[in-house]
Amino acid sequence: MAVDKQESVKSLFTAQSAKVDTNRGDAYYEKLYAQCRARLDELKELAPLNNRMDFKESIEDEGLDRRDFLKWASATTAMLMLPASFTPLVADAAVMMNRVPVVWIELSDCAGNTEALIRSDGPKIDEIILDIISLEFNETLLAASGHQAEKQLEDAIEHFKGKYLLFVEGAVPMGMDGQYGTIGASGETFHDHLQRIAKDAAAIVAVGSCATFGGIPAAAPNPTDAKGVMDVVKGKPIINIPACPANPSNMVGVILHYVLTGSIPELDSLLRPKFAFGYRIHDNCERRAHFDAGEYVEEWGDEGAKNNFCLYKVGCKGPMTFNNCSIIRYNEGVNWPVGVGRGCIGCSEPDFWDKYAYERPMANANIKAPTGGVEKTVDEFGLGLLTAAGVGIAIHAAASAVAGKKESEKEA
Amino acid sequence: MKEGYKKVERMTPAMRIIHWVNVLSMIVAIATGLYIAAPYYQTFIADSAVDKYVMAWNRWGHFMVAIIFDVTSIIVAYLYFFSCFEKPWKKVIPTPTNIKEFFAVLINLITLNRSKNFDSSHSDSFNTIYFAIFHLLLAWMLLTGLQLYVHALASGESSIGAWWPWMLHAMTDWTIPASGWINGAASGMSSLMDVRITHHYTMWFIVVWVVFHIYYQVWRTIFWQEGDIAIAFGGEKFVKDKEA
Ligand code: HEM
Ligand code: SF4
Ligand code: SF4
Repeated sequence: MAVDKQESVKSLFTAQSAKVDTNRGDAYYEKLYAQCRARLDELKELAPLNNRMDFKESIEDEGLDRRDFLKWASATTAMLMLPASFTPLVADAAVMMNRVPVVWIELSDCAGNTEALIRSDGPKIDEIILDIISLEFNETLLAASGHQAEKQLEDAIEHFKGKYLLFVEGAVPMGMDGQYGTIGASGETFHDHLQRIAKDAAAIVAVGSCATFGGIPAAAPNPTDAKGVMDVVKGKPIINIPACPANPSNMVGVILHYVLTGSIPELDSLLRPKFAFGYRIHDNCERRAHFDAGEYVEEWGDEGAKNNFCLYKVGCKGPMTFNNCSIIRYNEGVNWPVGVGRGCIGCSEPDFWDKYAYERPMANANIKAPTGGVEKTVDEFGLGLLTAAGVGIAIHAAASAVAGKKESEKEA
Repeated sequence: MKEGYKKVERMTPAMRIIHWVNVLSMIVAIATGLYIAAPYYQTFIADSAVDKYVMAWNRWGHFMVAIIFDVTSIIVAYLYFFSCFEKPWKKVIPTPTNIKEFFAVLINLITLNRSKNFDSSHSDSFNTIYFAIFHLLLAWMLLTGLQLYVHALASGESSIGAWWPWMLHAMTDWTIPASGWINGAASGMSSLMDVRITHHYTMWFIVVWVVFHIYYQVWRTIFWQEGDIAIAFGGEKFVKDKEA
């Protein structure tokens, strides 16, 4: 607790927000371009790992042509906030994604992020890329089980020591010495499992709200004392891709950035890549005109709902939430939550389940008062405070009226 | 003028202007703030969205009074230290005299004006500290409010230049962890919602402050019989002439 306090005081004065610098000048980009080119040439020398699928063949198999691919490459270049001249590099990097080994583990989770990336309406380029990345290990997609699976994991760690990207899905239960979650025949706790595999990773990518901030397992009262990866693993580069589920486009963005530059993208104070989380939902929402007009859905299915009014009064947290789904949407731009008529629940923010995901405005929701104790709305708390003050004043006023001494009376 | 009393000046014209500007701004800030929090009236205007613009006007009003608060707060902060009239900071520092005066006034309030033995011709320590609390609450409102506001300038640009969002970030980003800390969020787990929660809570502390403020001024006027309430209007009150 004491350490916790110290840390928070420290972070108090060193916070960094999501502001994004999208134009760093020609000199910067020229240098970066040369650096990326060199890195890609280096990767080209390496053979694809494990006879992975060939990207060009894969997209042809899916009936997509080169035009689709180039369109995707320029959109992705823009998403990564790179100048258009980087498009050929991004295209090259996509082809070389099968040269970077990825290990994917699952802890306290629902496998929703794995689902998100394998279950789109038909594989589009983002999904194909996630198919061909060198996924050395992924429990959900693994054919092997038991000791065999463990062996496979150990081989991958041994073989790619210090080189693999570790994707983590799910929170880490810390309560009861981690006994709330164990994995494998040896009954290793999630915590030990994570630490062992994290030790030799080049970098860790926490995907989904649970792995990043504890998510739903960590919601009050957090019975298993679940924590996000960044609270547990120290001394490794960590990239958070929160959201429930994390958008596959953002996962691809992070891997691409790594393939392209050999480094992790610029992060905000919550370790989220700024290219994805530097935007506020509310500023790019198609219902924003209705927000400004004061036209709100009052309850589900009313006239406002039929007319696509703003969802603020049924609890949309777009004004407080940073994510790019109002821009890139999900499933290759098909739609997104606010688009289908339900408010944003702030799934990419810390403590989202307790602080964002109630279907009413914050002012009308029960949250913990600053003093802890009973959950109240801020206005109930405020009116309580006002009542207490009113009672105090009333007592003082009554007492003054009865027993108060005016100056003139004193003299008299 | 009543026999044996003399006039003393307590608020300069500038202070009184600031006082009433703050009163009006506060009423607007609370009315619009509560609408922003949970729109409590509906628009029955049968007009296209762009014409009614109800939330946008509420937010506009909220931000306009916010800017006015910014300006008055900067002036007040300046006067705190450099006023030619009274320098309030001299009354809030915990010197033995100030502490003694603070409790003398407080005890007189609790004993229903039975022990009024302090000099009431100038702003006493209790009064000055009570106003200092207001200025701190208001400063917190400004900082958290500007933090909420700067995120609408996500591009890092504004019509008056990039320096404005840059400066707001530099000045107010720390309110995110600070608010999280107040709300009891685990370290490193605070977000913009925490700022919004504390912004709203602080409004209630200000409302309570205002209620007691008005009560206390009226009470003082009735029991001290020195015309204290007139300070806010004419700038002057009366105190007993020592010689008389
Ligand atoms: C002291 C007077 C003030 C009062 C009483 C006040 C009150 C409020 C309240 C009750 C809310 C709604 C919070 C919620 O969602 O529950 C709010 C929102 C807000 N306030 Fe204030 N506020 C004050 C000063 C300021 C200042 C100085 C600023 C600075 C620009 C500011 C900026 C904002 C912003 C940006 C929002 C959020 C609006 C949005 O998301 O559209 N406020 N305020
Ligand atoms: S639906 Fe949500 S994100 Fe869209 S304008 Fe309304 S409050 Fe903002
Ligand atoms: S709209 Fe909000 S809740 Fe929905 S996915 Fe995007 S960030 Fe998450």
